[in-house]
Amino acid sequence: MTKRYVLVHDENKCIGCQACNVACRSENNVPESVTRLQVRIEGPYGNFPHLHFKYNRVSCEQCENAPCVKVCPTGAAYVNADGIVSINENKCVGCLYCVAACPYKVRFINPETRVPDKCDFCKETRLARGEDPACVSVCPTQALVFGDANDLNSEVRKVLDTKPHYQQKVNLGTEPRVYRIPSRKGGIKA
Amino acid sequence: MKLDRRTFIKGAGAGTAGCVFATLPGSLAALGQTGLSGSAESVASICEMCSTRCPISARVVNGKNVSILGNKKAKSFGGAVCARGGAGHSQLYDKQRIVKPLKRVGERGEGKWAEIEWDEAYAIIAENLNKIKAQHGAESVAFSSKSGSLSGHLFHLAKAFGSPNTFTHASTCPAGYVVAAKAIFGGKVKRDLSNSKYIINFGHNLYEGINMSETRGMMNAQMEKGAKLVVFEPRFSIVADKADEWYAIKPGTDVAVALAICHTLIEDDLYDKAFVAQYVAGFDAFAQEVKAYTPEWAESVSDVPAEDIRRITHEYAAAAPHAVVDFGHRSSFTTEEFEMRRALYAANVLIGNIERKGGLYFGKKASKYNKFAGEKVAPTLAKPGVEGMPSIDAKRIDMVDDQYALLWSSGGIYQTILDATLEAKPYQLHGWVMSRTNPMQTMTDRARIVETMQKLDFIVACDIYISESAAYADIFLPESTYLERDEEIVDKSGKNPAYYVRQRVVDTIGDTKPSWMIWKELANQLGQGLYFPWDNMETLQLFQVDKDAALLNTIKRDGWVSYGKPLMLREREMVKTFTDTYPNAKAVDDDGTYASQLSFKTPSGKIELSSDKVEQMAPGRGVIRYREVTMKKADELFFIQGKVAVHTNAGTQNVPMLANLMSDNAVWIHPITAGLLNIANGDAIRIYNATGSEEGHALVTPGIRPDTVFAYMGCGSKNKELARATGKGVHCGNLLPHITSPVTGMNLHTTGVKIAKL
Repeated sequence: MTKRYVLVHDENKCIGCQACNVACRSENNVPESVTRLQVRIEGPYGNFPHLHFKYNRVSCEQCENAPCVKVCPTGAAYVNADGIVSINENKCVGCLYCVAACPYKVRFINPETRVPDKCDFCKETRLARGEDPACVSVCPTQALVFGDANDLNSEVRKVLDTKPHYQQKVNLGTEPRVYRIPSRKGGIKA
Repeated sequence: MKLDRRTFIKGAGAGTAGCVFATLPGSLAALGQTGLSGSAESVASICEMCSTRCPISARVVNGKNVSILGNKKAKSFGGAVCARGGAGHSQLYDKQRIVKPLKRVGERGEGKWAEIEWDEAYAIIAENLNKIKAQHGAESVAFSSKSGSLSGHLFHLAKAFGSPNTFTHASTCPAGYVVAAKAIFGGKVKRDLSNSKYIINFGHNLYEGINMSETRGMMNAQMEKGAKLVVFEPRFSIVADKADEWYAIKPGTDVAVALAICHTLIEDDLYDKAFVAQYVAGFDAFAQEVKAYTPEWAESVSDVPAEDIRRITHEYAAAAPHAVVDFGHRSSFTTEEFEMRRALYAANVLIGNIERKGGLYFGKKASKYNKFAGEKVAPTLAKPGVEGMPSIDAKRIDMVDDQYALLWSSGGIYQTILDATLEAKPYQLHGWVMSRTNPMQTMTDRARIVETMQKLDFIVACDIYISESAAYADIFLPESTYLERDEEIVDKSGKNPAYYVRQRVVDTIGDTKPSWMIWKELANQLGQGLYFPWDNMETLQLFQVDKDAALLNTIKRDGWVSYGKPLMLREREMVKTFTDTYPNAKAVDDDGTYASQLSFKTPSGKIELSSDKVEQMAPGRGVIRYREVTMKKADELFFIQGKVAVHTNAGTQNVPMLANLMSDNAVWIHPITAGLLNIANGDAIRIYNATGSEEGHALVTPGIRPDTVFAYMGCGSKNKELARATGKGVHCGNLLPHITSPVTGMNLHTTGVKIAKL
């Protein structure tokens, strides 16, 4: 594997404005009833006046060890050479095993294509043109950093090497490639 | 269709995805889907999903949709675009958008419309307006428009028609800080949040009411440069969450804390005496007045602990001059707006942050910048003027009291249209022409606006949707959206001159027109065509650039052009860079700055902390003073509102993608208050007072004071044409009383309410 695309979501910089959500929907023609990406503003947690919100990015975690890929009976769900968990539509039989297996609940059936769908870092469109994923490029507060973690000079490598971060549900051994910089307020709820 | 497992799943999901509504005359749905054509190459333009008007880069993708991203040429905007901006295409080809002129065929507000041609629309409007003019005088027609972009074209029509009564939405939104800045500085100032080391914020929720460059600047200052942010706000908003310190201040008492900060700066000898001596008039009277405003007194008024006010003030002064007290935006917390905004400015003046990094500064437009540089660094734009405009003798309807004089040229007191119509104060109005404005939501006392619109002889509304206000019009004119329009070049100068321009990305959809064309064509029909001597938008653009086609092409190609180096007159490093760049630049002062060049357009030429002019306009208000206000009855809760990042005030609730994100506004209630009222999270509730009554749902949360309830504004429309928004949530304007604040002319956005479980 030459590339290892990862995404870092800084919960301090994120304001939950949904610019990423809308940009993703527009770029990927995501139907109205489903979503590839949301930022959920959860809380407030804590006690007055020491309250805090959690800004929870909900999208494909691009697991190194992806349960959706393991359960796929036809090989339609696979990990691409760049590390992006991908879907081969032609091989899909619509069994929904992958949707059920995803511990992050981020796979869904696209009602128009009838194939499982989810975030793919805009690999067919923006990434193919050498651009950042739509969510990263529009983020008003630069809360998202995307790049090749195998590139030691990349911004994303620098962020991961210098800032405290966590991944969600690491106990499952899925090794997500979406990293989160925790809010400076409150604790980490992974 | 092949019946396999995937087909079955599709069928099962279809029920939730469908959206059924009756077909509205004139809507895109009624006219049938037309194809989408336009530029496949990116076009630099300007967003209009809110009034920040960010520079964008947009293109038509595969003839099916429109990609909208930020224009990377505009550095402080960083190529970013918010949720509303990104959803602009969803508004463009929304099937509920109106794309054909309409004529009312039922009662006003009944929702019965018939499609007509533009010629017929113009003929009906001209006949009615000219009849009103002949019988009652041109001044009996009011013209109102959301400020900015094309509002000047409507106001030009008003002047050609002969009416002085032109209004923007100013007195329902930003006029408070604008009027206060005029009184103190002689004009508007900007805030340099991105370079600030200490930011004190009184409920200016830049992380939900997004102003892209300011939002980015503040976040950058906080996260990359270690700036400290202190927020005083009754609600735990996103900006409160991102703050280092948040104080749940009692609604409407911001002025007390601001004055206590000023008190502490002076009494603890923390203020910039040299700055005050050089630039400030009326300091002694101000200092005398604020002697009484101790932090202890402010605590008793605001619930903010005195020791914190004192400590915060010392921290703020220690960061001076690279520190700022944000003067806010939507500014009608109380009727004492004028004193509050002036007190916020005063807290800046006292630390001498004017024209310093991280403080306040004046925009450097080309003419001013070029004078400093001693050469033509940036081109200046010409303003087209039309000679021989009719003279207007009638006074504006809001010219009843001199205390509002600062507002007359800055949008006027919008809500005086109600008094003039219903009570003939100061004289009777008979007609109303409105463009991209929705007073039913943004003004106050909805019932009074309905009464006004029922009483008027004739009403024209120009908009994209039939808004709650447009629903009461006699003629509806469908405007092209910003993605279909070309407009004049706009001056966007900050620390250095900059221009940008809105350009058409998509070919016109349906039978719509840009409003500059609508008002020009209507002028022809009214017999005032001679006052609109330009052929089209390109004529106007070429006039602006003095026929310099190369310059116009550059601005159009890049969409954003800036000139020179950033300049703040009292920042030595910036002045040095400036004078190194421009050899003919003005000579610097002994300290290497342009400090001596800093001047103010006030009567004294100085910053007026106390003002004789204001004293003359509004006796007793020359000096900034605290006055107690009563905004609710003892047994009521404070009701406050705010902005949310996925909607623009009351303008976007029907845009499909945004309606899908949020179509309701639950009422925030503290758990203790909810417990006393036996209300659980999600319960249906009634929220009511003497002005109106609304039904909604409760959001029980510790993120609000126990004596206060909150709702995001803009929801709860009552007209059936806005199918995605109607009847969803609480209509805030229906709960706010019709009150005009002294001096600023602002209407009021805080009141008292009672809550009951349904």
